[in-house]
Amino acid sequence: MNKKMSSRLVIKCYHINKVEFGDKNDIIDGKLLINEKVESELVKLNDLIEEISISIIKPREHKKYVNSIMDIIPISTKALGCIGNGITHTLTGVYVMLTGKTGDGRQMAEFGSSNGILEEKMILGRAGTPSIDDHIIHFDVVVKGGVPLGRNLAMAAHKVCDIFIQQIRDVLRQLDGRKADEIHEYVDRIVYNKTKVVIIKQIAGQGAMYDNQLLSNEPSGIEGGRSIIDIGNVPIILSPNEYRDGAIRAMT
Amino acid sequence: MGIGPSTKETSLHHFRDPLLDVISNDNDIDLLGVMVVGTPQDNNDKCFVGKRAAYWAEAMRADGVIISVDGWGNSHVDFANTIEEIGKKDIPVVGLSFIGTQASFVVTNKYMDTIVDFNKSEKGIETEIVGENNVNKLDAKKALALLKLRIKKAKNRY
Repeated sequence: MNKKMSSRLVIKCYHINKVEFGDKNDIIDGKLLINEKVESELVKLNDLIEEISISIIKPREHKKYVNSIMDIIPISTKALGCIGNGITHTLTGVYVMLTGKTGDGRQMAEFGSSNGILEEKMILGRAGTPSIDDHIIHFDVVVKGGVPLGRNLAMAAHKVCDIFIQQIRDVLRQLDGRKADEIHEYVDRIVYNKTKVVIIKQIAGQGAMYDNQLLSNEPSGIEGGRSIIDIGNVPIILSPNEYRDGAIRAMT
Repeated sequence: MGIGPSTKETSLHHFRDPLLDVISNDNDIDLLGVMVVGTPQDNNDKCFVGKRAAYWAEAMRADGVIISVDGWGNSHVDFANTIEEIGKKDIPVVGLSFIGTQASFVVTNKYMDTIVDFNKSEKGIETEIVGENNVNKLDAKKALALLKLRIKKAKNRY
């Protein structure tokens, strides 16, 4: 025997070609509807959040001013199993962009800020950024001003954004698996007598916004995960499937 | 601190990471796993986590390690330290980092002789443009090819 198969992960992609506001969150025939009342509900959830504004950036319309870009987040959910195995549903053609500043006008950044006109501040079509043909859900947060830019502020912004994404995930989870636009299968395997290699990813854990959330309940999520700061920055091992299933939510 | 907008790896980058893609699809390689290590503030803690990473790699009986860092400056202290600990265990290691003209290593050691620079900006600087100075497929392929060479050399020594 020269191979042993382990965890199996199936990622089902649903392509979105239109994003609009509506009276509830929904996904119908490639169209994503976002609940237009959600901003006012979310802003009440945390005292550290002063304002939330959600807008839809259409493909090729990137001349908009944005606050410092805190993250680009795929919208994925577990339909079966947990991170690294089972079935994941993910949307393609649309990604969430989280931006933020404080109530007294400071950007959510400490080592250079990416605030400015979006087309000048983000290179499209890279592994970590949307392509020119993708829609972007722009989730802008104003966190409490007049206090130091601490970990609690960055976490509050990420958490409230995660609650927003979760509402879309709950709809995405229900989609018929047979109607996916693309299906990718990945199997973690041990291959005997081959060259054994480890990938080490060094990620930020210095504190404040230099944090990463690991192995949350949902792919690229916050809820249920562990912060790399809280686990003392010590190395942990992820299987290839866990890693490619969104085990890391980058909060840097 | 250590991560500027252009070197920051977004959650989307981790979700479709070219480094994992290239290495997990190479038929010569048995990918043991993806080790995630943080960057503590305190120097003693930096040494602690770097050592733990090296002991992990040895315990996994790794023939080689590819280590990438999503920042520079302060983060390079951790990077250099972890590479040194792995190197001391005689495990071939190749690094991936943003260097360009702006981010020369603040500390270095004899095990840091094989580093792929994934700077993409013309001036070699932290441009504050998201997605610019990130690892792509070509960087990953270079790193893996270099690692294979280093492993071959190491095996010939025994």
